[in-house]
Amino acid sequence: MTPEGSLLAAEGLHKAYGRTPALVGADFSIHPGEVVAVMGPSGSGKSTLLHCLAGIITPDSGTVHYGPHTLTGLTDAQRSALRRTDFGFVFQFGRLVPELTCLENVALPLRLNGTRRKEAERRAHEWLERLEVEAVAGQRPGEISGGQGQRVAVARALATRPRVVFADEPTGALDSLNGERVLTLLTDTARETRAAVVLVTHEARVAAYSDREVVVRDGKVKDMLAGLI
Amino acid sequence: MSPLRSRTGTYGAGGEGRGPLGAARFGPGVWARDLAMGMRFAAGGGREGWIRTALTAAGVTLGVAVLLLGASVPHLMDAWHGREKARENLGQRHQPRPSDTTLRYASADTTFRGTEVRGRLVRPDGTHPPVPPGIDRLPGPGRMLVSPALKDLLGSPGGALLRDRLPYEIAGTIGDAGLLGPKELTYVAQSATLAAPDGYRIDHFGKSWDPRPMSAPAVLLVIMTCVALMTPVMVFIGTSVRFGNERREERLAALRLVGTDVPTTRRIASGEALFGSLLGVAGGAVLFLAARGLAPYITLWDINVFPADITPGPLAAALITLLVPAAAVLVTLLAQRSVTVDPLGVVHHRRPVRRRLWWRPALPAVGALLLVPLSWEGPWTDNPLNTVRLAAGAMLLLLGVTALLPWLVDAVVGRLHGGPVSWQLAVRRLQLSSSSATRAVSGITVAVAGAIAVHMLMTGMQAGYAAAYAESGKLPRIGLWGNAKDWPRAQRALTALRATPGVTDARGTIDGLAGPLPTDRAPVSATHPSTLAIGSCAELRRLAQLPSCRDGEVFLTSHNPDPDPALVPGARLDLNPPIVRGDRLDPHPWTIPRSARTARLLSPGHGPEGSFYDLLVTPSALDPSRLNAPSMELRVDFDRSVPDAVEHIRTTASRLDPAVQESSAVDNPHDGQYSSVRNALFAGAVVTLLLIGAGLIITTVEQLHERRRLLSTLDAHGIRRATLGRSLLWQTALPVLLGLALALACGLSLGALLLTMIDSAVTVDWPVVLAMTTTGAAVILFVTALSLPPLWRMMRPEGLRTE
Repeated sequence: MTPEGSLLAAEGLHKAYGRTPALVGADFSIHPGEVVAVMGPSGSGKSTLLHCLAGIITPDSGTVHYGPHTLTGLTDAQRSALRRTDFGFVFQFGRLVPELTCLENVALPLRLNGTRRKEAERRAHEWLERLEVEAVAGQRPGEISGGQGQRVAVARALATRPRVVFADEPTGALDSLNGERVLTLLTDTARETRAAVVLVTHEARVAAYSDREVVVRDGKVKDMLAGLI
Repeated sequence: MSPLRSRTGTYGAGGEGRGPLGAARFGPGVWARDLAMGMRFAAGGGREGWIRTALTAAGVTLGVAVLLLGASVPHLMDAWHGREKARENLGQRHQPRPSDTTLRYASADTTFRGTEVRGRLVRPDGTHPPVPPGIDRLPGPGRMLVSPALKDLLGSPGGALLRDRLPYEIAGTIGDAGLLGPKELTYVAQSATLAAPDGYRIDHFGKSWDPRPMSAPAVLLVIMTCVALMTPVMVFIGTSVRFGNERREERLAALRLVGTDVPTTRRIASGEALFGSLLGVAGGAVLFLAARGLAPYITLWDINVFPADITPGPLAAALITLLVPAAAVLVTLLAQRSVTVDPLGVVHHRRPVRRRLWWRPALPAVGALLLVPLSWEGPWTDNPLNTVRLAAGAMLLLLGVTALLPWLVDAVVGRLHGGPVSWQLAVRRLQLSSSSATRAVSGITVAVAGAIAVHMLMTGMQAGYAAAYAESGKLPRIGLWGNAKDWPRAQRALTALRATPGVTDARGTIDGLAGPLPTDRAPVSATHPSTLAIGSCAELRRLAQLPSCRDGEVFLTSHNPDPDPALVPGARLDLNPPIVRGDRLDPHPWTIPRSARTARLLSPGHGPEGSFYDLLVTPSALDPSRLNAPSMELRVDFDRSVPDAVEHIRTTASRLDPAVQESSAVDNPHDGQYSSVRNALFAGAVVTLLLIGAGLIITTVEQLHERRRLLSTLDAHGIRRATLGRSLLWQTALPVLLGLALALACGLSLGALLLTMIDSAVTVDWPVVLAMTTTGAAVILFVTALSLPPLWRMMRPEGLRTE
């Protein structure tokens, strides 16, 4: 049963890599504009949950609902289209395309959605300004600092105005000062745009930026508000 | 005293046997140890490690096999000429006296459907005649020993016509020692009728002669072919030994973490490449041995050889064995120069290096400077200086292309902007680093440019021969000549030929020379003899306008504007003039009858109908046996529409006299020669392109592997597979297309220069140009298609996992 008003919800997700279970009947839900921190120790299944929720991988069983869609019933191409239009991603090391300039990196998801280059780059520039990294617009990722790169990655994730942002250890490679700045910008901007944020982290200080925390342990999800596993 | 040893003054000294921190660590021992460690890593890297090693070894295997093949050419030619020298003894001037150990030996070569058949007739003088290699004893009278290939041909339905021509019973086969190659068609037959003046008397087989050295253009062809085909092989070897760099660098980073210094990591990396290249050297030797087993099935430039003759020289083999692994080490060391292996990971120096242009056109410019004046100097003059200029110029022009290409790629992709995402990703990738793609493509460029130039040169030469043969061959005619004994035999030959299927006309005379009688004071010059033709009135009327003719008459021709004053009725001539200057022969005096009249030649001069006779003699006026080396000269016209008319004529001629020889424009021997080499060159170029394609795949997959996390991220963002696939296509296509354009420009220019040098019309071999560019395009698609599965595999979400 999908929780009422939820934007994205998962029910009874099972996923195993070979004989190793990663998710064992995991449930999850998130509402529009909500920031949910997914916590848990290494190897608990956090990233697997994020990948299932984003439609990057399909669970062995269970369902993922996104609005009217059941992600688990969509084809790979449909899920890819959904990720292009409705989802944004931030990963631990930014994962920017090294050949492209920062501006082009931010414009990339827009262009993948069919936006014309000039328009995509204009909007990308706005996002770089908003994330306070407009100075590095013409530089390549290899020429900027880790903190700047991660802010560019956040700009890229938000540039398409996604309804859900998936952030997998977004500050894992940053010092605390830079990490806090990135998290502030990410969560504030997401709230402004009413985007839900699934924030995977193992750090309590990162989780402090969320509205709600869930803990993944041994493949199951415990909602800290509900106190249930 | 404390049980703990004081470490004062030993910080950084390390454990037992190690030098102090900062001490230099070098020397053969250190190198050997580090290389051995690298080889252990390569050998013990598990399945993935072995795949990398196997791919490196495969690349080196192909390269080494080709190098060994190239190194075998000198020995091959020596062996080929050695076989010919050992079995031949025709043409000596001083013949031995007949004895128990001599024999008469004559050539009875013929042509069967365009293929040469080498025939030798023997007639022993005694019971212990010499025996050529490959034969235990000579065949008996009326019998012959044949090569296995000729035996097969004679036994096949297609060989029936040839069987008629060789009326000998097959008594056995000739062994390999008596053959030039396994496909050679040859026989040795004993003729009971072989007698002087046919053939030579010999007392041994084996003749010392120096093979005609290759002409400079031929040498140039060989050099250019080697450059065009070997450069890509070297490029491929260079690419192969770099395979698996990323994983190797991860391992080296781990070694740095435990205290290995940078030079040591470079030596260890070299050891890994060394292991693969050593395996490749062994594999190359095995592949070479397997490939040379195919030699019997291949004929190039009419040369077909035994596998055993394809043996590299010991020095060349040793150099290949040593230099290829050394080159692998060198390439790895050079590749490591642009990489800093850091204990916490690998930092690549990715700062784009702006390529300097000024020196890049220097190589092709110097090449052009050497070649262009040669084309201005008119027809090619064969001298050592020109040979060096030609070879050096061609090589510099070809190799210069490889220097120009990186700059061209940088310059072009640097100006490309905009376009769809796939285009942008590819262009940006090339803008950031185009070195590896350009390196691989430079092989394509050299191969295509060289192949186009050589093809143009060969096509020009072949077209020249074809035009000449087409002109001569317009008239369906065969010329036959052999030793003449008397006129009745010549008459019988003409009758037999006229009765041969397909023959429309046959005519002929017995030709000879007559000179002034020698005097003691003035030795006869052999350079100004008069020519005479002996024939029936009917035959002579076909040569000249005779006022009337009866047997016994002699005619003096009036074609010469500067007639010899000695050629007048009543003059005495020598019918046995020396053919070689300085020879002293017994004179055979003969007087031109006083009744001799003048006749006008119908077609004096050159041309198919032309003749230069000074005297026309009817048979009763002169016995041909008094002439020195009289020759029966027959011209046979035939009807092209009669199947195998030429073969029937050859058979008739052979039956009349097996030693009769043929001159005709029926078969163009150069056509097959050039076609075989052109086909081989084309096949070589295609194989080279495929080899480069394989290198490009390795490079591309390597790049994809390095970027697998990024690809997974792009997949997470929802990028379409087709978008990345197209990006890969552009990334491969751009350097290849630029390389092909450069190759076309260079190849066509070089080909035009070479054709100008040999005074041939500059024509472009468009089918080859088209085939080459099509193959290049196919390589692009081939590389992209084979890179797609790894691309899609690396887009999997597993790449997103960090734990």
